[in-house]
Amino acid sequence: MPQFDFANVFWSQLFWLAITFSILYFGVVKLTLPKLGRVMEDRETKVTGDLDQAEEAKASADALEEAHVATLNKARDTARGSVAEAKAEAAKAIDKKVKAADKRAEAKLTKAQAAIDTARNKALGQIEAVAAENASEIVTKLTGAKPSAATVKKAAKAALAG
Amino acid sequence: MAGPMEQFELETIHPIEAGGFDLSFTNSSLWMLIALGVISLFLFVGTARPQLVPGRMQAAVEYLYDFVRKMLDENVGPEGRRFAPLIFSVFIFVLACNLLGMVPWVGSFTPTSHIAVTLGLAIIVFAIVCIVGFARHGLKFFTLFWPAGSGVLLGSFVFVIEFLSFLSRPFTLAIRLFANMTAGHVLLKVFGTFVVGLGSFGALPYVFGILPLAVNVALTGLEVLIAVVQAYVFALLASLYLNDAINLH
Repeated sequence: MPQFDFANVFWSQLFWLAITFSILYFGVVKLTLPKLGRVMEDRETKVTGDLDQAEEAKASADALEEAHVATLNKARDTARGSVAEAKAEAAKAIDKKVKAADKRAEAKLTKAQAAIDTARNKALGQIEAVAAENASEIVTKLTGAKPSAATVKKAAKAALAG
Repeated sequence: MAGPMEQFELETIHPIEAGGFDLSFTNSSLWMLIALGVISLFLFVGTARPQLVPGRMQAAVEYLYDFVRKMLDENVGPEGRRFAPLIFSVFIFVLACNLLGMVPWVGSFTPTSHIAVTLGLAIIVFAIVCIVGFARHGLKFFTLFWPAGSGVLLGSFVFVIEFLSFLSRPFTLAIRLFANMTAGHVLLKVFGTFVVGLGSFGALPYVFGILPLAVNVALTGLEVLIAVVQAYVFALLASLYLNDAINLH
């Protein structure tokens, strides 16, 4: 194998490897790759920056939506509250009116009852008087003697009550 | 016909001697320079005007660079990124040498099929691992070889084994790459010899050469794959060794 002919192949190849590799590392790679590395890092920062921005925008959009939903819910609650209030008020007013009407009707009823009672009593009193008069006349016609007014009245009352 | 080992022969193009050492410019040196030229072209064109939205060449360079950076992120952690240019250099140099060696041309040569080259690369990696390890941890770097929570006797035993295995790392790294490249090229050459030998069979020319040719086509595909995989393995092991030096497990 020519590779193991160290006396002839070793030093010259090591020497030229050292030269070419030094030129490659210091003259080519060190000059070019850092430039590229910077660009790649710039790109990375830009991409992550854009992503961050997008995330921020999304977060603010989410916050806006949340606020919107909250406002909507609040408005709905308020509306519901005022509806309930109005309903309660209306019920109260109706109750009040009904009560007033009841009172009025009752008053009218009592008054009417009283009038009826008075009229009845009056009528009853007149009937008594007429009955007593009639009875007195009848007794006079039958017996010829005129009974005393008090007796007639008492008898009439008793008869009417019985 | 050339033997299967002849492709690894060094041919001196311009003899140089310094201090008793033979430092001649050979075909190996030439192909290392060609690899350097191809890589330089690739990198300079790819990063001429780096833009936020990359063009084709930039995207290609970025893909490879990102590949190395991800490998370091996974195997070393955030501190590994500092070594991305080094690992990238090792990776792309091995990759370029391996792939250029696959060019089907009589003058083509694979520098990474020579243990001198692979050992040189492995020693670069090993030296940097040692420098980083001692610079960061001082003598505590030796705790890398001590198994945590074991007794003195077992511990020292394991220490010796671990230390020897650490010292053998540059050699295993070098031999793995060299052996893979050499074996692949020998295999290709052997089947190439079969194509010529069987194809020139007197009574039925060409017919018997078809089978080894088909095998050679398949082997070429396999060898391209191995060229890429071995470059990856070399860079991966280098980053794993670097991880030991930086994080002590």
